[in-house]
Amino acid sequence: MPVATNTKRNLVTAALVAPAAAWLMIFLVLPFIAMLVFAFGERAPEGGYQAAFTFAQFARLPTRAAAFWNTMVLAPVGALLCLLVAYPVAYYLAVKADPRYRLILVSLVVVPFWTSLLVRTYAWMYILGSRGIPNLLSMIGLEDVRLLNTPCAVLLGIVYGYLPLMIMPIYVSLEKLDRRLLEASADLGAKPVSTFFGVTLPLSLPGVMTGVALVTILLLGEYLIPQLLGGGKVFFIGNALVDLFLQSRNWPFGSAIAVTLVAVVVVILMVAMRIAFRVAGTRQVDLV
Amino acid sequence: MTSASTNDIEFRSVAKRYGSVTAVSDINFAVPKGAFMALLGPSGCGKTTCLRMIGGFEQPSEGTVYISGEAMNGVAAYRRPVNMVFQHYALFPHLDVEQNVSYGLKQMRPRRAPAEISRRAQEALDMVRLGGFGKRRIHEMSGGQQQRVALARAIVNKPKVLLLDEPLAALDKKLRTAMQIELQTLQRELGITFVLVTHDQEEALSMSDFVCVMNAGRIIQVGPPQDIYDRPASLFVADFVGKTNRIAATVDDGGTTIVFADGTRVASTATAKPRAGSATVALRPEAISLKRNGAAGTATLSGTVTHRIFLGSSVEYSVDVDGLGDFLVTADRRTIGDSDLVEPGDRVGLAFDPNALHIFPA
Amino acid sequence: MTKWYRENAPITAEQLADELMRLKRGSVTRRHFLGVTGLGLATAVLARQPGLFSSTAFAQDLGSQMSIATWPNYHDPATFEAFQAATGVAVEVNVFGSNEEMLAKLQAGGTGWDLFVPTNYTISTYVELGLIDELDLSKLPNYDAATETARFTNEGVVDGKTYAVPKNWGTTGIALNSTKIKTPVTSWKDFFEVAMTEADGRAMVHDYQLTTIGNALVSLGYSFNSTKPDELAKAEELLIKVKPHLYAINSDYQPSMRATDAWMTMCWTNDGAQLNRDMPEIQFVLGKDGGEIWSDFYAIPKSAANKAAGYALLNYLMAPENAVKEHIANGAPTTDSRVLKLLPAEITGNKIVYPDEASLTPLEFGAAVTLTDPGRAELMARFKSA
Repeated sequence: MPVATNTKRNLVTAALVAPAAAWLMIFLVLPFIAMLVFAFGERAPEGGYQAAFTFAQFARLPTRAAAFWNTMVLAPVGALLCLLVAYPVAYYLAVKADPRYRLILVSLVVVPFWTSLLVRTYAWMYILGSRGIPNLLSMIGLEDVRLLNTPCAVLLGIVYGYLPLMIMPIYVSLEKLDRRLLEASADLGAKPVSTFFGVTLPLSLPGVMTGVALVTILLLGEYLIPQLLGGGKVFFIGNALVDLFLQSRNWPFGSAIAVTLVAVVVVILMVAMRIAFRVAGTRQVDLV
Repeated sequence: MTSASTNDIEFRSVAKRYGSVTAVSDINFAVPKGAFMALLGPSGCGKTTCLRMIGGFEQPSEGTVYISGEAMNGVAAYRRPVNMVFQHYALFPHLDVEQNVSYGLKQMRPRRAPAEISRRAQEALDMVRLGGFGKRRIHEMSGGQQQRVALARAIVNKPKVLLLDEPLAALDKKLRTAMQIELQTLQRELGITFVLVTHDQEEALSMSDFVCVMNAGRIIQVGPPQDIYDRPASLFVADFVGKTNRIAATVDDGGTTIVFADGTRVASTATAKPRAGSATVALRPEAISLKRNGAAGTATLSGTVTHRIFLGSSVEYSVDVDGLGDFLVTADRRTIGDSDLVEPGDRVGLAFDPNALHIFPA
Repeated sequence: MTKWYRENAPITAEQLADELMRLKRGSVTRRHFLGVTGLGLATAVLARQPGLFSSTAFAQDLGSQMSIATWPNYHDPATFEAFQAATGVAVEVNVFGSNEEMLAKLQAGGTGWDLFVPTNYTISTYVELGLIDELDLSKLPNYDAATETARFTNEGVVDGKTYAVPKNWGTTGIALNSTKIKTPVTSWKDFFEVAMTEADGRAMVHDYQLTTIGNALVSLGYSFNSTKPDELAKAEELLIKVKPHLYAINSDYQPSMRATDAWMTMCWTNDGAQLNRDMPEIQFVLGKDGGEIWSDFYAIPKSAANKAAGYALLNYLMAPENAVKEHIANGAPTTDSRVLKLLPAEITGNKIVYPDEASLTPLEFGAAVTLTDPGRAELMARFKSA
C-alpha cells in the first residue's frame, strides 16, 4: 500500500530529524528570534532591554564601523594567511606523507585542539612579550621590538589558533583526489607546477573554500585573540559585542550588530560555496 | 631490432622492484614503429608496470626503456612523447569535454594560439565522433563517451606512442566490440604506435599486430596473434590464450610416438622431435571433430557426450573421454550439418590431426 | 624574593607554570580563564573530596562549594584554603575587570555567585535594581561597624539598611617604571602626555569606563564623575588621540608591567603596592590634579544559591586576624581600625598604601550615575572600537 508506506517513511524521517530540529529550534532559532526582537528595542535606563519598535539601533551601526572594518579586513586576511600556511601542510599530509605515518601526523595537527585556545594564547603572550622573541632579538642588537598588542600579533594568533580548522578540510579534499588525475596531467605534458595549478588546486577548492569560509566565519565572531594578543586595541566586532553585552549592557544595540553579522556571514557562505562548486564542477567522475 | 628508426619502444633487460618484491624482470621486447602491440597477461603479471615505465610513472630498477631509440632513464612523464588512455580514463572532473581534450595542447611550449588549440581539440573530438559534445561536463557523459574523450585527450598531442591501460574493461560487451574496431581504425588513421595492456586474450588477439604474453613478471612469448594461438610457446600460453584440452602423455625414446595416459599412441609429426619422457599435450577444442559412434572410423579416442552448450555460430560439447576424462570440443556450425549434431548421452569418437597437438615436456 | 621577572631574562618552563598557577588563582581579569580551562572546576572538584574536612565549627550545612566574584590580584589564596580547611567549602573565584561587567552578569542572571566585591558607587544601583539583599548582620558577628571608618563605609548603607560591608579602600593612581620613564609624572595631565611621548607604545589604561574616562576628564580639568556631554566629548577626543600610542587597554596590567612590556599604567593601590614590593623601580603616584578614591565592599546577591556559605565566608573575612593576612597579601589599605592595629609597621608606613591625607584631597569617590550613564558606556565602547 503506497499510502501506508509513505506514512511510515514520513514517520521514520521525522524520527531521524526530530532531535536535530529540536536542538536547532531551542538553541539557534529561538535565540535568533530573541535577538531580532531585541534589535528593534531600546536599552533600559539601567541597561538591558526594554520593548520598543525602532530602527535606532541599526542607525547607530556606523559607530562601530571601525570594528566592522577591522573584522572585515583582518578576518579574511587571517583566513588567507591561514590558508597559505595550511595548504602546504595539508598537501604534505595528503599527498607526500608516508601513508603508514599519515594518521599519526594528522592527529598531531589536531592534538593542540585538546588544550584550551586560551591557555595557548597566553603562551603566545609570553612568546611575543618582552621576555620572548623581542628578548632574543635584543641579543642580536634589535632593541625594543614590539610584537605583542599589534595587529601582527593578532594575525599570528589567528593563524596559529585556526590552523587545524583550515588544514582538515583541505586535507580531506586532497586525500580523496584521484592520483591518476595527476599522472594524466603529467602524461599530457604538464610540469609539476602546471599540474598543481591545473588539477590539484582546482580539485581541492571545495576544501579550500570550506576552510576559508569556516575560518572567516569563526573569525567574524572572534574576540579572545584580539583581546589577548591585541591588548584590547585591535578590536573585532566580536569584542564590540562582548563590550555591549558585558560592559555597556546595551542589549538592543548588541543584538542589532549580531543580526547584521549573521546576515554578513550568510552572504559570505553563499558566495563562497557557489564559487567553490562552480570551479570544481562535480567532485567525482562517474566511473561507469 | 635496435635501430632508432624502426622501433618506437624497446625494453632492454628491464626489471622493476618494489623493495624486496620483484614486479617484473628480464623484460626484453621491441615495438616496431606504427605497430599495435598488446601486453597480455593475468592480473599482477607486470604488464601495467611495463606500460607505466613507458609512460614515465615508474622508473626501471634495472635496464633501460627506449622510446624512438632514446634512453628514457630519469626522464619525467611530462617530457615523454607518449600519451596514455588511463584505466577508468582519469578525466578531469572540473573541466568540460573540450577543456579536457585541449589540456595537453595548453601545456605545449612555446604556447599555441587559442585558435589553434581550439581547432586541434575539435579535430580530435571529431575523430572520436564527439563533435558536438565539447561543452558537456564529464559527469554528463556515458561510459563509452568518456572512453572516447579519454582517447581524444590522449591523441590530441600527436604522441609517437599511444598507451592504453585496459581501455575497454569498463564497457559492456557490445560497446567493447565496437570500440575494438574503432581503436583499430584510429590506429590506422593516425599511423602511430599503440601499446595496449589487457587481460582479455580475445581483445589482444583481435586488435594487435603483436602480442606479448606475460606471466609472473616475465615475458613468456612475443609474436603475431596467430602464432601465439597456433604455436603457444608454453602450456601457460596455450591455456591463457584461448581454450585448450590438456592430455597427460609420454613421449617415447625416439621422440616419434606420443603415448596418452590411456595408452592411445599417436605418431608425432613435429619437425623438432620432442624430448622423450613424460609430457603434457595441448589440443584446441576446435581441432577435434566428433564422429557418431559407428561412423567410418578415423577416430582416435572415444567417449560419451555429457553436456552441450549452444552458442549460435558454434556448439560446445563436454565429452567424457574413456580413460582421459573431460574434453571440450567446439564444432563450427558452418562445417557440420544438422545430422552431425550429437546429444548428451551419445557415444562419440574424437578425431584430430596429429599436427594440432602441442607437446610440452613436463 | 627572587626576581625571576628580571628584565630580559627569558622565562623558563617552571616560571611559565608559575605564572599559569597565578592566573589560575585569579590574579588576572580574564573572566574566561576558569570557565574555559576548567581549572577552576578541577580545583573545586578536587577540594570537594568528602571526609577531608570536618565542619564541626558550623552547625549549619554550608554545602561543599561556593563562588565569589572579585578583582584581580585581590585575595591571598591561602585565605580560601584556610576557609575550606575550616568549613569544607571550596571557593570558586571569578575575577572581573570592571563593575559594569559584574552588573551585566548579575542583571543577566544565573551567576551562581554567593558573595561578590562591588565598588562603592555601584551599591545604590544594585539596591535599586533589587539585585542584592540587606545583610543579616546577626550572621556577621565578626563585623563591627564601630571600628570602621565612616568615610569608606557609608555607601554600603542605603536608607539606613546595611547592604554591603567594606573590604578595603584604595585609590587609582599611576604606576610607572622609573628606569624607563625619566619625565616626572605627577598628574593625569602628565600621564596622557607621557603616554604619547616618552612612553609611546608602553602605557596602559583600564578596560573600565569609570577610571579611563574619569582620569581623562581629570586631566582636562573636569570632574572625575562628569556626565556632561561636552566634557565627555573632550575626554573622548583625548582618549582617541592617545589610543594609537597605548600598549593596551586592559585592567590586568600587572603581567605587562612585570614583564616591562608596559612602562606606565593606570593602577589601583593594591596593585601598585604589589608591583613596588616586587620591583622597587615601579613607582606609584597619585594625580595631583585628581583621580579616584574608592572602597570595595562585600555583598551577597539576591540570586545566591548558597547564602549560608556566603555569610560564612564573609564573616570569616571580617575577622581581623583573617583580614590582616588579606591586607598583607593584596596591599590595599584597610577600613577597619582593628585590622590596622594588627598590620606591621612597614605596611602602615608604606606611602603607597597609606598616603598623606593631603594627596587624597583632590581625589573623588566614583558617583553612582557613572555606572548607568549611557553616554559614558557608549563613549568607552567607541574608544575601544575606534
